[in-house]
Amino acid sequence: MGSDLGAGPSTHGREEVIETPLGPVTIRSHCPPGSFSMLELDEGIGHFAHYSSIIQKLEVFERVASSEGGNVTLALLNGRRIVGYGVCWYPDESERWAALGKLLYEMGALEVSRNFRRLGLAQKIIQLIMEDREFFAQKIAYMKGYSWHWDLDGSGLTIAQYRNMMIHLMKPYGFREYPTNEPNIAIREENLFLARIGERVSQEDRRRFRNLLFGVLED
Amino acid sequence: MLEDYPKAIITKDGTQVLLRPLKPEDEGRLLKFFRKIPEQERWFLRDDVTDPRVVHEWVEHLDYARVLPLVALNEEEEAIIANLTLHRRPFGAWRHVGRLRIVVDPDYRGQRLGTWMLLDIIRLAMGLGIEKLVAEFVADVETAAIHAAHKLDFFKVATLPEYVKDREGRYHDLLVMIKNLHQDWSDF
Repeated sequence: MGSDLGAGPSTHGREEVIETPLGPVTIRSHCPPGSFSMLELDEGIGHFAHYSSIIQKLEVFERVASSEGGNVTLALLNGRRIVGYGVCWYPDESERWAALGKLLYEMGALEVSRNFRRLGLAQKIIQLIMEDREFFAQKIAYMKGYSWHWDLDGSGLTIAQYRNMMIHLMKPYGFREYPTNEPNIAIREENLFLARIGERVSQEDRRRFRNLLFGVLED
Repeated sequence: MLEDYPKAIITKDGTQVLLRPLKPEDEGRLLKFFRKIPEQERWFLRDDVTDPRVVHEWVEHLDYARVLPLVALNEEEEAIIANLTLHRRPFGAWRHVGRLRIVVDPDYRGQRLGTWMLLDIIRLAMGLGIEKLVAEFVADVETAAIHAAHKLDFFKVATLPEYVKDREGRYHDLLVMIKNLHQDWSDF
């Protein structure tokens, strides 16, 4: 892949198998369009009393995988049952984060089935996504953490503990918390905005990002 | 939790500000900052912060586990423009409580600087396992700070009537405000 900002992540999928007490789970990155219809979602992903999964339909994976720069990374039991996922994309044009073109790249959603938690799957999913080092070196990758999406019931964690878990999950990959006045983040103090500035992002782009965090847009 | 500092913020008027914990080399800057605070406000602080020995003592004995002083610096001028301290006890009945004190340079008030600092310390406190943040404000004197605290859901739990005296010997009420850090879902 090239080094210009318009380039997408590598489309070469990577795969890793993890042995778990529930059976071997395959983590597969860059799942291609057309590969989702034969899969099924585990029962631990879906709609619950105080929590709903961000993605509940296979069509969404198809849409992300087909979009420019979209990356769907799945955790699969027996090669067929989705027990976790991580999806990434360029920010939606309606969002502030799209103002710098393809400089920013969103870690859009990350979830592990309620039945497969505490097995290290989330970490493996992130790890596989971040292995695309050439791509991430030129990007500012970010993750929004809205507390209304957090599965407190299923995790048994408090808001503060869940927040810390998110920070600790992303920290090994260079993500850190940034203050922002973006309204959806700022509306609740426990919400999170984590970002990782790639080592080849220029000083000028770093400055533009810093301004963007506070809604300062340049011509 | 402190490795994410410095953190860059931009105030309402576009000033580029860095937030970070106080360092020993800030001694001169801190003294200069406190000397800019109007005398009638300094009166209500717990120490004579214009005394170089007091400030020296602070920076010489920094212990972030007990007192975390967070400063805001005007990045261009490298001057301290606000100071917020989080006091806590490492064990016992008070370990879930953090006490706050904030002072903002008069030239930078009304720029949401105090709000950003409070928000930052609230998030930091969550990470430290603190459940309650307590702040005391002198009624009719620290109006802007009370307003900023209100906006961040600090609520008044007590008024100590005619508790502190100003320089002219007049009594003022002391407000005790508390913020409960979310440990569970709240209505949204």
